[in-house]
Amino acid sequence: MRKPYTSRRALSETIFATAIRAALFLCAAILLFLIGTILWKGGQAVNLSFLFSPASDFGKSGGILYQLLGSLLIALTAALLVLPAAVGTAIFRHSYQRAGKAQEALDVSLYALNAIPSVTYGIFGLIFFVNILGTGISWLVGSIILAIMMLPTVTLACVQSLQAIPPNYFENAFALGMTRGEVVRRVALPQSAHGIVTGLLIALARAIGETAPIMFIATAFSGVTLPQSPFEPVSTLPTHILALAQQSTDPRALENAWGASLTLVMLAALFSLLAYGARLYLNKMRYK
Amino acid sequence: MTITRRKPTPHKSAPTRSKPRRRFEGSWFFAAASAVFSASLTGLILITLVVQSLPVLGSAADTIFTTRWNPAEGVFGIIPMLFGSLIVMTIAMLIALPLGLLAAIYIAETRSLRLKRAAKSLLEILAGIPSIVYGLIGVSSVSLWVADAFDLQSGRIILTAGLILSVMILPTFLSLTEDAISGVPRRYRENGAALGLYRHEVISSVILPIAAPGITSAALLALGRALGETMAVMLVIGSLDRLPDPLFNVLTSGQTITSKLGREVAESAFGSAHFSALVLMSLILVTLTLALTLGARLLQRRTLS
Repeated sequence: MRKPYTSRRALSETIFATAIRAALFLCAAILLFLIGTILWKGGQAVNLSFLFSPASDFGKSGGILYQLLGSLLIALTAALLVLPAAVGTAIFRHSYQRAGKAQEALDVSLYALNAIPSVTYGIFGLIFFVNILGTGISWLVGSIILAIMMLPTVTLACVQSLQAIPPNYFENAFALGMTRGEVVRRVALPQSAHGIVTGLLIALARAIGETAPIMFIATAFSGVTLPQSPFEPVSTLPTHILALAQQSTDPRALENAWGASLTLVMLAALFSLLAYGARLYLNKMRYK
Repeated sequence: MTITRRKPTPHKSAPTRSKPRRRFEGSWFFAAASAVFSASLTGLILITLVVQSLPVLGSAADTIFTTRWNPAEGVFGIIPMLFGSLIVMTIAMLIALPLGLLAAIYIAETRSLRLKRAAKSLLEILAGIPSIVYGLIGVSSVSLWVADAFDLQSGRIILTAGLILSVMILPTFLSLTEDAISGVPRRYRENGAALGLYRHEVISSVILPIAAPGITSAALLALGRALGETMAVMLVIGSLDRLPDPLFNVLTSGQTITSKLGREVAESAFGSAHFSALVLMSLILVTLTLALTLGARLLQRRTLS
């Protein structure tokens, strides 16, 4: 009676091995399909004149110049806005705050901020800025909301790189008679710069593709060029793709949507690559 | 005896600093102000949502838990949207959980560092694709395939939304699950193998129970993401504010909370009962995702300690 028992076990082992291989194969196939589709369909639409000419005929023809500039403007401004808040919060948590209930509350609040769905940020921006503060639909509000969304990522990256500084750096600095403020400015900030830059670039890569938070509060679809003031709407790549995807029965609209998608994915990939490069380069600088 | 902390008395001849040491200086004020600002944001968002969802609770509270949505008549039943969110989420999890778990087992158990690095960077690329691009792929390819496969007029149905969503949550879940499985110390595998267990027996009766909290936490995070995903779902679900008929017919158009918000917020007037009802839905959504994410964090910390 032992033999069938053993062979049943052997059979389950075979089934198991096949199942995990099949799963990996399926995941790889999905990955190839996604990347292949974006590159193939986007590649047919993107060329230099597509990137550098303005959209016309409600986006069905022409290029994406102002969408590209609008996306960069709104995301880079958000990065500038989030930088001081994130660095300050991380420094406070690392250098001034003792572990305890207050620190726990700060952590939970940051994690919660990360968990809030993107569409809710859009609604919050619409209520708080556009209607209560009366700013109207403006790209600056979009940047502020994106900055709030980036805050947890950048702050946690800063905290991690602060915690990675060897403790003897701080001990030495205090032994030299430096005040806490001096230690923060002369030791903590320079030694964690690589983490701040990396965290910021990773958050940028995510923020530039966001649609839901900015579509009610910062963007307009057609007839928008460069904004003359912070209180005007812009046009961005994600909202442009959204508008074109809703006319997906028109092949010209679809082709431009693919072109804009490839550009957007490439922008996000560029920021990720920069983050990777910054990590390598700044790490090397640190240990020189 | 109690130990009291005293300031060290400086030696008479010791050089004294010209300025006394201050604890509260410029850097402190800046850091403390940013920390207070960051910590209060979540509260500010929640309070704003609660305040703005009060009007509909005052004027049309009895209609909220019904199945009919008609702003013109002041009827705001959110049951179809809640049900839509749940069923789309369920489809996505039914596909992503087994697929992600099996693939994670393969990557973790072959113990090949090269495969692992390649997989991790590819997953990072996938996670970096913006959700609007997934929506475009859904609209232009997947919904057409689904329409062909089931011989439907339009492929913008609940099933398509579930399929797209499963692909979107797969990278996060796979990557975190792989971490949880790789985190199980090697000696457990060696002991299992020494007992003469097959590989699948080691995994199912030794590794998975140990990694279970980590895997559950990954699943909760994936659930939270699935609930909050807006753009892709909004483009492919068809936007029909009715319960499917029969109830579990996934081949009809539906509506989720997020797709409803994405479609209607810009059309409703600020301060109206309509707007307030949408904010109330958003509040319900935030409550759910917060509970899932903070639950995942608790589980993760329990694994570490």
